[in-house]
Amino acid sequence: MPEQLLQQIVNGLLIGFMYSLIAIGLTLIWGVMNIVNFAHGEFLMIGMFTSFWLFTMYGLDPLFSIPICFLLLFLMGMFIYRFIVSKVMKGPMLAQLVVTFGIGIFLSNLAVYLWTPDFRLIPPTILQGTWEFGELNLSIPKTVASIGSIITSLCLFLFLRKSKTGKAILATEMDREAALLMGINTERINSLSFGIGAALVGVAGAFLSTYYYIYPQVGGLFGLIAFSIVALGGFGSIEGAFIAGILVGLAQTLGGFFFDPAYKYAIVFMIYLITIWIRPQGLLGW
Amino acid sequence: MKNLSPKTITVGLVVLALLLIFPMVVTQIFPLQIMILVFMYAMLGVAWNIMGGYAGMFSFGQAAFFGIGAYTSSFLLMTFHVNPWIGLIAGGVVAALVAAAIGYPCSNLRGHYFAIASIAFAEIVRVHFNNWTLMNAAEGISLPMLDESFVNFMFHTSKVPYYYIMLAFLILALIVCYFVATSKMGYYFRAIKESHDVAEVLGVNVVRYRLVAIMISAFLSAMAGTFYAQYVLYIDPESVMLLAISVQIVLLSMLGGAGSVMGPVIGAAVLIPIAEVTRVWLGHRGTGVDMLIYGFLITIISVYQPQGVWGLLSRIGNRIK
Amino acid sequence: MKAKSWITICLSMSLLLMFSAPVLAQGVIKIGGVYPLSGNIASTGLDCKRGVDLAVDIINGKYGKDLDLPMAKTGGLPNLGGAKLEVVYADTKGEPKNGMSETERLITQEKVVAIIGAYQSSVTKTASQATERLKVPYVCSDSSSPTLTERNFKYFFRVSPHDAIFARDWFQFLKDVEKKTGKKIATVAILYENTEFGSNVGKYARKYAEEFGYKVVADISYAANATDVTSEVGNLIKSKPDVLMHASYITDAILFTKTFKEMGFAPKGILTMAGYIEPGYLPAVKADGSNIIVRSTFALDLGKKKPLVTKVSQLFKKKYGIDMSENAARSFMAPFVLADAFNRAKSTNSEAVVKALLETNIPGSQVIYPWKGIKFDPQSHQNIYAQGGLVQVQNQQYVTVWPFASAAKDVVWPFPGWKGRK
Repeated sequence: MPEQLLQQIVNGLLIGFMYSLIAIGLTLIWGVMNIVNFAHGEFLMIGMFTSFWLFTMYGLDPLFSIPICFLLLFLMGMFIYRFIVSKVMKGPMLAQLVVTFGIGIFLSNLAVYLWTPDFRLIPPTILQGTWEFGELNLSIPKTVASIGSIITSLCLFLFLRKSKTGKAILATEMDREAALLMGINTERINSLSFGIGAALVGVAGAFLSTYYYIYPQVGGLFGLIAFSIVALGGFGSIEGAFIAGILVGLAQTLGGFFFDPAYKYAIVFMIYLITIWIRPQGLLGW
Repeated sequence: MKNLSPKTITVGLVVLALLLIFPMVVTQIFPLQIMILVFMYAMLGVAWNIMGGYAGMFSFGQAAFFGIGAYTSSFLLMTFHVNPWIGLIAGGVVAALVAAAIGYPCSNLRGHYFAIASIAFAEIVRVHFNNWTLMNAAEGISLPMLDESFVNFMFHTSKVPYYYIMLAFLILALIVCYFVATSKMGYYFRAIKESHDVAEVLGVNVVRYRLVAIMISAFLSAMAGTFYAQYVLYIDPESVMLLAISVQIVLLSMLGGAGSVMGPVIGAAVLIPIAEVTRVWLGHRGTGVDMLIYGFLITIISVYQPQGVWGLLSRIGNRIK
Repeated sequence: MKAKSWITICLSMSLLLMFSAPVLAQGVIKIGGVYPLSGNIASTGLDCKRGVDLAVDIINGKYGKDLDLPMAKTGGLPNLGGAKLEVVYADTKGEPKNGMSETERLITQEKVVAIIGAYQSSVTKTASQATERLKVPYVCSDSSSPTLTERNFKYFFRVSPHDAIFARDWFQFLKDVEKKTGKKIATVAILYENTEFGSNVGKYARKYAEEFGYKVVADISYAANATDVTSEVGNLIKSKPDVLMHASYITDAILFTKTFKEMGFAPKGILTMAGYIEPGYLPAVKADGSNIIVRSTFALDLGKKKPLVTKVSQLFKKKYGIDMSENAARSFMAPFVLADAFNRAKSTNSEAVVKALLETNIPGSQVIYPWKGIKFDPQSHQNIYAQGGLVQVQNQQYVTVWPFASAAKDVVWPFPGWKGRK
């Protein structure tokens, strides 16, 4: 019994790190331009399909397609910001909420149109199998994805704290007006953040594609969970989203293990509701 | 909102007259089905509008109220043989109470936090119904087939009675919305929407008025839910509590023009026929083209026409005048 | 203001005029096919549609006279002046509301005289309520919820077996396997996705477990679109069942297979349903699917004992370039049942067709499943000869392993575990 418990904690962490990686891109966009990107799950799906097609057509292992996913999604994010999202930034709040829904519906059905609604899986790659430590089984692709999540989050963190552009992003996030007065081109920062946010979820997609099936609607639940994670962690807080992701992963797994698996996502949403009731700005929000 | 001008009243009456004779002119079932759906979604949109368009709470969880309405009346009918018309009221009351219970803790949430909280709430409700044995869990409720009559709220051979009932519901919702919009409460709602804090400073009891808006909205949505159950005669959590329904409601309200009484009706009248007709014409090819167009439309409209079709009509009207 | 008024009025007017009258063709009998042709499970719906299309081609005599299937020899319906069958399809998107409205539209506007299809049981429920109200026969051969034939509808008939039969088969198989190997099986775990389909299977599995004398050590339901199922599998491992019984759709089948392997969950047998036999399953999991046992009404290897199956599946492959799947094969039979009934009734009048359907007696030789034939129960209208079978994944093929009498190969039992697979 303690072995299963340990196993469950480990599994919770593994899925939690994945959630974190998906959520940090979302929180960046949210924090910088105060927009909820409801198409985030579909960005994830595009990342997964990119990785799938690179493998199918060129035999490229998902691990090596990460930079391509990053770049492609970065460009896609910039494009979407430049031609769609930037146009609603000054519009009513409802338009901001709805526009990304439209993009999401469009993208997932574009995927149906181009690639059919079939389910796909990338066959065994260099990242396959399990490490066994006594009773504990550690899935190799999930572990690698978790390490990747930590590294990526760390890179983002350093980028935001150390580089000039990063500091400009943070400044914009804290106070847009002040940033504008300081001579920061906030429009450029916006499109850059949107691009980076999309690129991060592209990386998540590449990692996820090593062990999860791929189909046009795959982003749905992942996206939904990511929204709660971001709101749980607090507006635009990278650290908050990272921690909240892990918490949600653990809550979901242990909740499913000890209570009823049928309720495990309900438990996640419940935790979110209770948290914002007590602390409306989220765990690390301000 | 000003008092209704004679011209507006004339237009309203002409449209109403056209809608009343519609089932006599068009005897085919497909247009009737579409119109019934248009009315139903228009009513859901109007209900959303009271809460979202006027009071600024952008709920993405309306399907929960819709589903609670459908489940309450169906459960009462199935288990205790309660007349669906009583179930209709009961469903509304239950939904309003649930709305109050969940709305109270959420009453100081703003913007995105509220939107996401509403999604979370609706998902919890859906999962719970999906596992609630008393409500037949995932198996859903097949309504007992009663004799065809108005009293039983069930008609087997014709869609026309459903058409008129739903039209009446919609008109009721519009009247409620109109009174809310033009009453003192409507001003408070808009004050809250403009700025939570300013409204509070001005002495508006923000929590109370937000709760009132949520409860009215929930009651009307639940009525539409009961209608759905009586119309389709089978409900399960997958068909009445899905996030997609909530999203549809927000999209059409926004498209028509949130914050105007007629906005959601216009939105439903544009979106629902598009969705149904594209499904019938293109859907059987299994390519997703219908939804592709739909998503594209939403995106374009939010970018170029964020005030919705109603806003566009008003502007054209003003320019010509 | 003026313009707004006019636009509003024009909008309402155009809605009035938008629709035109349908065109009726001569010498053609139209039936309605209601399937999920877009949305999440569109690939399944398209698969069913292939089976129906092939059946209609055969009925209309496109493939000559050497097939021993109803109407194949005559080409068209002889008693109705050689009338041909035509299917008008409608897309439900998998939503019950559309199942109802599309059925009504097909009947009243497209003038179809019978309905087939729906696939998802929840959609079949509303669609068959519509046919019941409009008094039009409905022959279903692809929905498996037991509740459908518990309603005793007058116009609804089901050709294929339902989930209660399948669940019973699981336990009957366990009894047979115990006898064969001489080793006792004591405990089972029941795992099911929590929509209409899965929870019904769960209900019947619990019932039969008691009846057959097995102890249920785990009873787990989960959401089919789960992002991660390790906690479910953790519970399974903890309960140490002899046999796992799993009712799933395809996505969760894929995810569970991978998670079983990853966490090393290997009971003596894995008995499954639906998702594990979808055409997308094996290509997705490859060797990890080996030795899993699935309920099935159809397998290509039935051809060894029934040449008709080989002939039909070859036609299928020629027409579409892919193997005939279980879904396509299940949907395949409904048009034949209807054509046969129309022909005997010498009419498409609903009451006459229902009467003919009740007298249906298609021999086993004219059916592509291992059944004694097709004959409907006078009360429930369930095909009394419908039964399931079990297939096992061996060398990337579904091979029939049970009932032992019609098995193409021996069953691999117990489950050999996950090690040593590529």
